Amino acid sequence: MILQTHELTKKYGEFHALNAVSMTVQQGDIYGLVGRNGAGKTTFFKCVMGLAALTGGTLEINGETANLNAARQQMGFMITPSFFPYLNAKENLEYLCRVKGINEIGKVKWLLKIVGLTGVKKPFKAFSLGMKQRLGIAGALLTSPPIVVLDEPVNGLDPQGIIDIREVIKTVHTATGATFLISSHILAELDLVATRFGFIEQGVLLKEISHKELHEQTKKSLVVEVGHVQKAQAVLQSLQIEIASVNNNRLTLNTHLDKSNEIARALVGRGVELYDLHRQETTLEDYFIRLIGGGKHV
Amino acid sequence: MFKLIRGELYRVLHKKSLYMYFGILTLGYVLLAIMRSGGFNNNSVVGDASNLFYLTPALVGGFLFSAIYTDDLNSKNLITLIGYGLRKSNIVIVKMILTAFFVTVFFGLLPLFHSAIYIGFGYTVAASQLAAVYALSVKYLLTTLVYIGISSIVVYGSQRPTFSFVSYILLAFGVIGNLLAMAAHMMNLNISDYLISGITDQINVGMLGDGVPLLPIIEYAAYIIISSTLATIIFNKKEMEF
Repeated sequence: MILQTHELTKKYGEFHALNAVSMTVQQGDIYGLVGRNGAGKTTFFKCVMGLAALTGGTLEINGETANLNAARQQMGFMITPSFFPYLNAKENLEYLCRVKGINEIGKVKWLLKIVGLTGVKKPFKAFSLGMKQRLGIAGALLTSPPIVVLDEPVNGLDPQGIIDIREVIKTVHTATGATFLISSHILAELDLVATRFGFIEQGVLLKEISHKELHEQTKKSLVVEVGHVQKAQAVLQSLQIEIASVNNNRLTLNTHLDKSNEIARALVGRGVELYDLHRQETTLEDYFIRLIGGGKHV
Repeated sequence: MFKLIRGELYRVLHKKSLYMYFGILTLGYVLLAIMRSGGFNNNSVVGDASNLFYLTPALVGGFLFSAIYTDDLNSKNLITLIGYGLRKSNIVIVKMILTAFFVTVFFGLLPLFHSAIYIGFGYTVAASQLAAVYALSVKYLLTTLVYIGISSIVVYGSQRPTFSFVSYILLAFGVIGNLLAMAAHMMNLNISDYLISGITDQINVGMLGDGVPLLPIIEYAAYIIISSTLATIIFNKKEMEF
């Protein structure tokens, strides 16, 4: 693993901002950290980046546990786009190049091209939110780091901005094989890029799950709403269709999802009143809501 | 540490307002000289410098303090530097080195510029007068350096740019020094020799006379060391706010 925490704890007074978080990020992962505002995502990143002292637990970055500052020099991160307002994109990146001792000619040019800021001369203070986020990502990628930490990279962006950032992450992940640790509360977006998820709530890491496992648990189903449940059950059983669950006058089927037409015809043909028949997919958001106990928005 | 110095030099020297600000100051200085040139004579160069240099800790130091320190807070750059694995103590030291560099350049050129204006108006500036103007410039260089050092404690402690800048300005205009002297006076104490203005006065007099005595140098060094140490301790204890 490239990043691991064991029982990581951060307290502010008596408040547990992080409570014994044990997380494992494998090399090459795009790890999506999912949680509501105030769940502890940014605090977790602050601890990983050395911006906040740990109250308890251990942290391992790229095999290093003792000299974490040295390990952090191998990381790229964007917690909030932090740039000088009077410098333009190129100047801000060149400042960071000097601070990090990067002499690679063309690196800044390449990064500006990747994030679509080539030729932008205006100062950072005149940037749109999307441009700021994109420059933040460029800054995080400056040293071609093996681990890139991005806190809410699509927060506040318009749909095109979100697509742009997604493409940048995918492009860099494919080109460099870097490991990404990304937090977001826009779960549908995270679902499109992440290969592994961690769910955090009230400072507690509730679950870690791979994209594949998640989609096995959130697979599609067919919901059939009828007037007479027992009659409908008999029809479906005669068609050898397994009923996953029955709730009032709703039947849920996890198989034969592509046979909705035949099912509808059979039910109606045998006198069952069919009120509704639709496909349903549990989203990442549904999964998360279920995980944290339901009823709360991300 | 050297990498950070390189980066910071690049940043400050790419700040366009640096050139605009010093351009305006230069122009203002020249205009002031034109307005006051009626009172110029071959002996007034030192007294005139004394009157004008008094404002430099506020006017010049204030800008440099803002460029070197509070810009970091406004842009949240300290988060970037610490996240890059830089030690906080190194950041404190680099900032002091940068401050020393910029104030040395400014206060090194100021006496030459001041004297050049006099020469431009057709007056002569003797070597002894230039030395006196330089001694004065060194006094304000040292003052500015300590004021910035003390204010850096506020920067790292509060992490608020405006509050930090106001603290610096209050120091630079002598408000805090005067308040301390008044408080000490009410307790029948005289601390004026131990305030930075008193210490730099002693250094200035020493430079023009028989040499600078050791005590004010030690006191001055104590100011720098204590303020830098306090800044480092506070910075290490303080969590980054964002």
